[in-house]
Amino acid sequence: MRQIIDSAEIHRRIEAAPLLSSSASRLLQVTSDPEHSLGEVVDIVKTDAALTARILRVVNSAAFGLLNTITSIDRATSYLGERMIIGIAIDICASQLFDKPLTGYEAERGELWRHDLRVAIASREIARLAPQEMAVDLAFTGGILHDIGKSILSEFLAGTAPVVLETIERGDARDYLSAERAMLGIDHAMAGFELARKWNLPTALQQVIRHHHRPAEAEESYRPLVYAVHLGDIVAMMGGGGTGSDTLQYHMDPGYAQYLEITPEQLTMTLLHVEEEFAKMEASLLDGKDGGA
Amino acid sequence: MSNIILGVGDYGASNSPGDIVKTFALGSCVAVILLDPATRCVGMVHVALPDSNINRDKARERPGYFADTGIPALLKQMTTLGCNMRKLTVKLAGGAQIMDPNNTFNIGKRNILAVKKILWQYGMGPVAEDVGANFSRTVSVSTNTGEVVLNTPGRPPWKL
Repeated sequence: MRQIIDSAEIHRRIEAAPLLSSSASRLLQVTSDPEHSLGEVVDIVKTDAALTARILRVVNSAAFGLLNTITSIDRATSYLGERMIIGIAIDICASQLFDKPLTGYEAERGELWRHDLRVAIASREIARLAPQEMAVDLAFTGGILHDIGKSILSEFLAGTAPVVLETIERGDARDYLSAERAMLGIDHAMAGFELARKWNLPTALQQVIRHHHRPAEAEESYRPLVYAVHLGDIVAMMGGGGTGSDTLQYHMDPGYAQYLEITPEQLTMTLLHVEEEFAKMEASLLDGKDGGA
Repeated sequence: MSNIILGVGDYGASNSPGDIVKTFALGSCVAVILLDPATRCVGMVHVALPDSNINRDKARERPGYFADTGIPALLKQMTTLGCNMRKLTVKLAGGAQIMDPNNTFNIGKRNILAVKKILWQYGMGPVAEDVGANFSRTVSVSTNTGEVVLNTPGRPPWKL
């Protein structure tokens, strides 16, 4: 497998990628601090009219079936929870990245966002089941953002999927990530990490994005979080929610057992949990987008 | 002529000419495909987990989710469509895995075993299967031909 493109072009593309809105960026900073309060989240939301409007549409969407309309952003935020607020904020300002088809992975428009939402739900549930103290909503946010590098690499990978799959099957590439690196000089985890640095994301999220397929390479203190998203990604792919040709073309790192005490039975239960939660969250987010309710 | 799309945990059958019964992206889930050449009836269930004891409420609400409740539900529906249970042809697809030498999270394999065990109790077994490995399969079956076609991103479609 030979390199098909000069990776300088990819770095230029990362530089040209859209920025996060200042409210989304501040939300990610504030919520990565374990000591933060919901009040701080509300204060940031209130400075952003588009975000406020969208949150009210989501909370009043048919999917939640509330009897009385919620008009206060404080109530909407506490009803939806921090993770939904962050999901909405990221979706608004980075929809260009999440909503496009991943041509290079032969995935349709919307598949990346649906995969990310599934991974977010699974990662949070895995973090919640862990006996040690974990920032569960940070695991959710990590799940939303972990594959953002794919939206950068996708077009450079157009038409390569059949060759990549054969190369992995022959054992000439360890997994899809190694194949990306061989062809482009950079893989989707590293491209996402570069974007995360440009966005000034908190270190915890940068570590998740960079190491979600190789969690043992993350900085020691972030490993439980990175392993939670590593497993969340696998749960989503097993449940059929991948992003096209790379689905299941990765290794599971058994080292998770050192950081997360989760049994194979609990992982199986997580598969069921994701299916149920995903249907609810997807419906409410889509309703909010259509401007319904 | 219509497409009957089955989500995770759904089951369905049709004997209307031109109908396509289809399910997307199986992952570790297993599609059990039942064909009755005499009535040109095809049925499919998209099984996600091996055993309904893990969540009885879910099994009542969505029997297709589990191997032990999904297969009986599909057989019942096909019987009401006039199929002779003893003359059904069985095909299986799915049950994929992540690459994992330790087999920690072998839900795909467990699904396949559970499906075969339940089929065995009815005296049935698959004549063809495309299971395991590490890619996600989409399956479609036509009532006209009984042909089972599999798809996965990055490879040409193939018949089962």
